[in-house]
Amino acid sequence: MIICPNCQHKDFSGALFCSQCGAQLMAAVSSAMPSGLRQKDPMVTISSNVSTSSTTSKQKTGSKPAPSTGSAGEARIILHLLESGQILPLAERMEFSLGRVSEGQPIMPDIDLTPYKAYDKGVSRLHAVLRRVKNKIVIMDLGSSNGTYVNGNRLSPQIEHVLSHGDTIHLGKLKIQILFSPDEK
Amino acid sequence: MSKKSDHYALLSLRRDASSEEIRRAYYDAARRLHPDKTDSARDYELFLEIQEAYQVLADLKKRAKYDASLPPEPAEGDLIRQNILYSRQEVTRTREPQLIYVLLEYSAAVDESSPSAPPLNLCLVLDRSTSMRGKSMDVVKATAIQLLRRLRPEDTLSIVTFSDRAETIIPATENIELKKLEARIQMLQTSGGTEIFQGLESGYNEVLRGLKESCAAPTRQVNHIILLTDGRTYGDEERCLELARKAAEDGIGISGLGIGNEWNDDFLDKLASLTGGSSLYVSRPQDIQHILLEKFNNLSQVYAKESTLEFKLSEGVDLRYAFRLQPEAGLLPVESPLRLGPILKDSDLKILMELILQPPGDQTEIVSLLEGELKASVPTQPYSLPPIRINLVRPVSNSSGLQTPPEEILQALSHLTLYRLQEQACLEVAAGDYTKASQRLQRLAIHLIEQGERGLARTALLEAENIQRKYEFTEEGKKQIKYGTRALLLPGQKESPA
Repeated sequence: MIICPNCQHKDFSGALFCSQCGAQLMAAVSSAMPSGLRQKDPMVTISSNVSTSSTTSKQKTGSKPAPSTGSAGEARIILHLLESGQILPLAERMEFSLGRVSEGQPIMPDIDLTPYKAYDKGVSRLHAVLRRVKNKIVIMDLGSSNGTYVNGNRLSPQIEHVLSHGDTIHLGKLKIQILFSPDEK
Repeated sequence: MSKKSDHYALLSLRRDASSEEIRRAYYDAARRLHPDKTDSARDYELFLEIQEAYQVLADLKKRAKYDASLPPEPAEGDLIRQNILYSRQEVTRTREPQLIYVLLEYSAAVDESSPSAPPLNLCLVLDRSTSMRGKSMDVVKATAIQLLRRLRPEDTLSIVTFSDRAETIIPATENIELKKLEARIQMLQTSGGTEIFQGLESGYNEVLRGLKESCAAPTRQVNHIILLTDGRTYGDEERCLELARKAAEDGIGISGLGIGNEWNDDFLDKLASLTGGSSLYVSRPQDIQHILLEKFNNLSQVYAKESTLEFKLSEGVDLRYAFRLQPEAGLLPVESPLRLGPILKDSDLKILMELILQPPGDQTEIVSLLEGELKASVPTQPYSLPPIRINLVRPVSNSSGLQTPPEEILQALSHLTLYRLQEQACLEVAAGDYTKASQRLQRLAIHLIEQGERGLARTALLEAENIQRKYEFTEEGKKQIKYGTRALLLPGQKESPA
């Protein structure tokens, strides 16, 4: 038996990809992952002013498969904006602040949610932060006016909360689903 | 007859065939070519030749003498080359079942002396139900006319339309008065419902007629039915599948083009796969033209047709999955004979199999997985070629060391895995397991993002949500994901709109 490092599913030995989650089971041959070979469209962020310039180059390296075990440094977080259906992959950084840019104010969140109607939805300029802590991804509310919710529960400001794959967070009324790349726990 | 016939080739036998095999091959051929059955002059000639061949081969002494007179047997690779790749060089001595992947590749050893493509005998079976009205019908008409104009004198194209009943617009004749036929096509009007069997049966009859009227033997032509539909057929699915099996035995392939979102993809996939044909998804009417023309081009590129793999699995071995990666991607039914479809001149035939193997015995040094033969006929050759033997075996090793699978298998599997995630999600929805299905689509979406397929990833996420809310796929999303992930298997091709 082979145990999938991603989803713990037990597969027959000889399996090369997990039949449950599709993760590649043999780390030693990860160079064959198509994402590493096919260079087309490497994780370019969607048409928005999300700090594209600073993230794309890192994301390119990020699109290469993780060697052996998925260490936290290789993790990829994907934001799925539920209303618009848009997908926002994040680069391999340790921390991202979420918020919106507002004119005349020198506050620059890492991820600007203005294109997703952040203002109408009550997103604060510096609303919350996503952070990698060891093998985990945590979210922390930065004292926003309208609050941060995880699966409907409001978070206390300035306290870290561990996220799981598939969690839905609300920044005010803006709904975002959190997805992790396969080599992430 | 161009050259003096080889008795073995005539009966599609290998030279080491047993007396029993010779007898069986003779009876099969004799039954097919008997003057009571067919009135083609060429068949009669062949019938006489197989009599002669059998008289020699059935007699041990005559056979030995004949064998001695033969030039050395052409190597199996002379017409079709076979290449086999395994996911692992050895299987492990273990107490658990294990998986092994096998990639079969067949390519045409193209003969310079026979550059011309075999004659086509095609029938277009067109859905003219009310829902085809407008753009779809206009494009279909224009494309049909384009196809007519491309035909060579030796080709046959018949056209059948159907709604609740079928009508032959253009019969399979050889004397085509182009202007008249074009006018007939232009006159097509939409009305009525969709009963596929009606159309399919008429199409089948036209292709049979096409066989008789051109007096070449059936093996010399490429016989194919192309079904275009945009709707579901009700109640006659089984009859359609039955007809497809019959068509396959007669050497007639069926391919299906599904237009829009309302047609039954599972049904069309199955219908096509029974004959070695392919199913194609046309999301927008304007795509009908290039997809149909591409299909036509593929059929003109046929080198070997009706390649069929007859196989027997060894004890303790199961074939869990079989998929054609190329030239047209598609799931194959897991049964012998496997109808693999044609081998094209410019594109290899590639089949990926997933086999599951029960623990080998303690003393076993070599395990046999599968034994069989690939049969195919090369229309530009006078006779069908001898079957290509296939024998999958692996040595057993005690160590379970890491084995790096061939790049090609990994590549194919990394894409096929996505297609299978989609398949599983469909099964889970059907079983009422909505949460699981939705999670699976999210995982699929992540893999798709990693491969740069953002449009498709988005569709997968939307469907994941849809399933949670409405407990079903949208027809459009389901087809886009299915055929979109399937298209990823083909190098340098994109099917997914989104």
